[in-house]
Amino acid sequence: MFKKFQNAVFEGIQNPKKRNLILGATFIAFVLSVLMIAPSKMVLAKMLPGKNNDTFTIYTTLAEGSSIEQTNRVTECVAEFIKKEKNVENFEIFLGMGAPLDFAGLIKGSHFKNSENVAEIVVNLTKKHHRDEPSYFMVQRIRPSIQESCTKLYDNTTITFVEPPAGPPVLAAIVAEIYGKDADGIRELSNRVKEVFEKTDGLVDVEVMQDEIYDTFEVEVDGTKASLSGINLKQLNDVLYLAFEGMQIAVKNSDVVNDQIPIYLSLSLESKKFSSKDIDAIKAKLSSLKLMNSAGMMTPITELVTIVPKNSNPMIMSKNLHQMTNVMAETDMVSQVYPLIEARDAILKNFSDKYEIEKIGLFNLKLIDKNSKNVYELIWDGEMEVTLDTFVELGAAFIAALVLIFLLMVVYYKSYTLSGIILLGSFLSIIGVIVGHYIMDLFVSDTFFLTATSLIGFIALIGISSRNSLLLIDFTASLMRDNKMPKAEAIAYATATRAKPIFLTAAAIILASTLLAGDAVFGGLGVALIFGTIAAVVASLIIVPILLYKADLNRHFNLDDA
Amino acid sequence: MNSYKPTDIAGKLASGFLRNPLTVVLGIFLLSIGYLALSIMPREENPQMVVSGSTVIVALPGASAAEIQKAIVKPLERKLKEVKGVENISSMAMDNVGIVNAAFFIGEAKEDSNLKIYDKIMQNSDMFPKGAMNPIIKPLDIDIDIPVVSVAFYSKNEKMSKTELYDRVKEIQHHINGLKNVAVTELKGGNKHQFNVEVDLDKLSGYNISMGQIVQGVQSLSYSVPAVKNRTKENEIIMLGVKNAIESADDIGNIIIAQYMGSPIYLKQIAKVTSSYDIQNFKSATISKKDESGNFSQLQNQVTLSVSKLQGTNAVIIADAVKSELESYKEFLNKNEIGYVITRNDGQRADEAVNELVYHLLLSIVIIAILLIVVLGWRESLIVTFTVPAILAITLFVAYLTGQTINRITLFAFLLSLGLLVDAAIIVIENIHRHYHSKESANKSVDDIMIEATDEIGPPTNIATLAIIMTMVPMAFVGQMMGQFMKPIPANVPVALIASLFVAYIFTPYLAVRILKKPDFHSEEKH
Repeated sequence: MFKKFQNAVFEGIQNPKKRNLILGATFIAFVLSVLMIAPSKMVLAKMLPGKNNDTFTIYTTLAEGSSIEQTNRVTECVAEFIKKEKNVENFEIFLGMGAPLDFAGLIKGSHFKNSENVAEIVVNLTKKHHRDEPSYFMVQRIRPSIQESCTKLYDNTTITFVEPPAGPPVLAAIVAEIYGKDADGIRELSNRVKEVFEKTDGLVDVEVMQDEIYDTFEVEVDGTKASLSGINLKQLNDVLYLAFEGMQIAVKNSDVVNDQIPIYLSLSLESKKFSSKDIDAIKAKLSSLKLMNSAGMMTPITELVTIVPKNSNPMIMSKNLHQMTNVMAETDMVSQVYPLIEARDAILKNFSDKYEIEKIGLFNLKLIDKNSKNVYELIWDGEMEVTLDTFVELGAAFIAALVLIFLLMVVYYKSYTLSGIILLGSFLSIIGVIVGHYIMDLFVSDTFFLTATSLIGFIALIGISSRNSLLLIDFTASLMRDNKMPKAEAIAYATATRAKPIFLTAAAIILASTLLAGDAVFGGLGVALIFGTIAAVVASLIIVPILLYKADLNRHFNLDDA
Repeated sequence: MNSYKPTDIAGKLASGFLRNPLTVVLGIFLLSIGYLALSIMPREENPQMVVSGSTVIVALPGASAAEIQKAIVKPLERKLKEVKGVENISSMAMDNVGIVNAAFFIGEAKEDSNLKIYDKIMQNSDMFPKGAMNPIIKPLDIDIDIPVVSVAFYSKNEKMSKTELYDRVKEIQHHINGLKNVAVTELKGGNKHQFNVEVDLDKLSGYNISMGQIVQGVQSLSYSVPAVKNRTKENEIIMLGVKNAIESADDIGNIIIAQYMGSPIYLKQIAKVTSSYDIQNFKSATISKKDESGNFSQLQNQVTLSVSKLQGTNAVIIADAVKSELESYKEFLNKNEIGYVITRNDGQRADEAVNELVYHLLLSIVIIAILLIVVLGWRESLIVTFTVPAILAITLFVAYLTGQTINRITLFAFLLSLGLLVDAAIIVIENIHRHYHSKESANKSVDDIMIEATDEIGPPTNIATLAIIMTMVPMAFVGQMMGQFMKPIPANVPVALIASLFVAYIFTPYLAVRILKKPDFHSEEKH
């Protein structure tokens, strides 16, 4: 076995035909594997895949100005669906507020929720060891049916599913920030972007972060009449507030209960309800409310005021001092990169009727309204942005690692050629990483993504495979120096001798990584290490000897002057 | 005795420790500090992230969203922009209130950031318009904001009033808050006591009374005063207390609001006065849970008690403490017909995640040991297998000293380094094995073979390990959330690798001398 391998290497490196064949094949394999990522999308990239959790949260948001009773109806609708699930242990509904804060909620602003149109439903599942279905599959399965039947109860209701993130939390998978100068233009554009998102495959839970404009009424006070009847505005406000909102007008201290007991005054629920949503109904109620002036004279409120309908003032959002609105979407078990590109293409194609579109940066767009000449910008944010940044930074870390290793080798060997061979040998492990992801993708039921952890594994691999090559070259050098072996023989002997520890350490890495490969987050790291190590072994036992043979070793090992 | 002169640090370490009686003490010491670190280090599921930011809320009652934006949000944004380290400023202008949030770059120190924002607002408190309320500054604090345990209390008795549950839970809250390292406890859901005066609009207009009169009437009688102190002629002190006029809902109902045609109008005539709960509170929390037969119970009112921990403390211990504290209230709760469900237990989750990974780690070690038995023989395998816990022990202890916690990512860093850290030992043992079995060394002393074999492999192993460490160094500079999240990898893998070198050079030859058998060269050679 040992001899056979030694002979094979010995003959292989001396045969120019075989040499070139192997080098050529390696080059083609390298190019092909890189092609697998970029144009062919055989291997898909994502920052982090989903994680199997024991809990998830459903956010329901009704249109601004909806009542708690309406919100309750939507949550009860959702609850009916949850009750059918056999893997649910319990669930809690928090009406009008956020659930106890978690990591995802912190970013999504769950702790600021304090209005009648919001609710959160916490769904606790049975422990994951007793459950066949991962939480992300369950969410994917129940999402369409819940959204279909519960969002249509009231207009503009959104129901989103929030799972604890596998890594750092983000606002949403895809966020399109629409910047502009005028609120109406931003509103119109963001609604159009929302429509595009809704039509894009793989995007779910689409939501625009803006208040709907709804009808309100305003009480206008006739100043002259008010002063003539000796009534001030504060009095009027107080009475209106007392009557319909109610107010705590006094407190009573108590040693029985834990807080002071307030005395709360309001009209009774039955008598304060308006009979319908129009001016006449409001007037009818207000006419029964009277104000007393300092002289003790009673004046009905309706004598002093007129009631006019108006639109509500929607919230104005800005980021870094620029007015903007977020359009957000989650991805349905797919990477966010590809739906984003698809949505962007759709925007480029369909929005040209009203806007002139310019591309800025990598994906961002600048839209100019053809009529009003108003300028809007569409900037992508969310997990997408984090993914890009992370991949870019990890890529930079990767290049920095290569440079550091190269410098280290140059310091050690004092030869650029040998350092280059080591670097080249370690770079080839990328073939294994990419092919490994493709193979895994064939075997698992959901998509196996190339993730940030895959990149980390890849970076670690450079070190591992350069260690292999290094031990090989070092042994060759000592054979040639101490035992005065000829080049080819020394390379062959060294390769055959070092093959055993190289195989052993590779086997150790592969075995240690198999347990990593099963994890959702670190699967990419495991797979990168397993398949990358295989490629690294092949590289250091086949490619590196060939390259070594082609190099002038006597000169590089400084044997000539010795 | 030792004729071979080592040239590399590897050989020097090997020869220094080979016959040293302290080597075994060192080994035991390393293992025990590792075990100590494993048991006392705080455990959590995800690594701690330094995320800082503050939210400033300013209310200006009566202003519209556009007015708020101009008068409050824009000046505030400009001021916050001056603060160093702020990455993003986002703001919301709504009717009556403006909210501006400043998010710092990931990794900016929390305390400093909070202080900077507070300073900036206080220095410029004159910028707010007239009529604006005092700004509320809410710093973001992941540790305190995110509870590690939440418990839902519900009533088993349908007739229990809405406030009673809240009252009982509030009593428990106080005790839970007293537990060690508990930072904040919070209640969600439930209703507070309140006297409700619900006025009938028709009667109000029928008696020709205004709401203002009711307010005056109630306020005039709900005034508490301290007792009056006076002396008798013999200088004895006599306290004279004024009893609160309002003790019950009936007292409120009997307040006279006005005179109508000469006869008094009592509040109870025009309003329903009850002692019940805060009816204006639209928030509520409900829970439904599955019973043994697999059916869900009706949604019933609940009060959720959430508990968060202080930074750097062990979620596992706090969760257990909360659990046992609740156990001690079992009788109290049973008596009051209150049941509870633990709806979140991050401590348990962290413990499970950590234990699962520790199990994986052990499994990997066993698998590698089996591999080595097959390839190298069981004696060699035993030696390499011993080095793994020693290396992990050193790494754990260093992680403990640098204030890290045991979390998923730390353990993944260990799993990742596991494949790498046996390398040094394997290379050394393999070289010893090769030298042992080669003919040239047949006449050398065992010690010399050990030292020579270790020394020979030293320089390339050092440089190769250094190469792997080099690959990890740039990763430490990756910023953003992901960089923070992954920090345990560049923090721990290099430590493990350096430890693996020392352990390989010190313990591998030491154990090899005692465990390996020198082959008999007079019989046939193996290879």
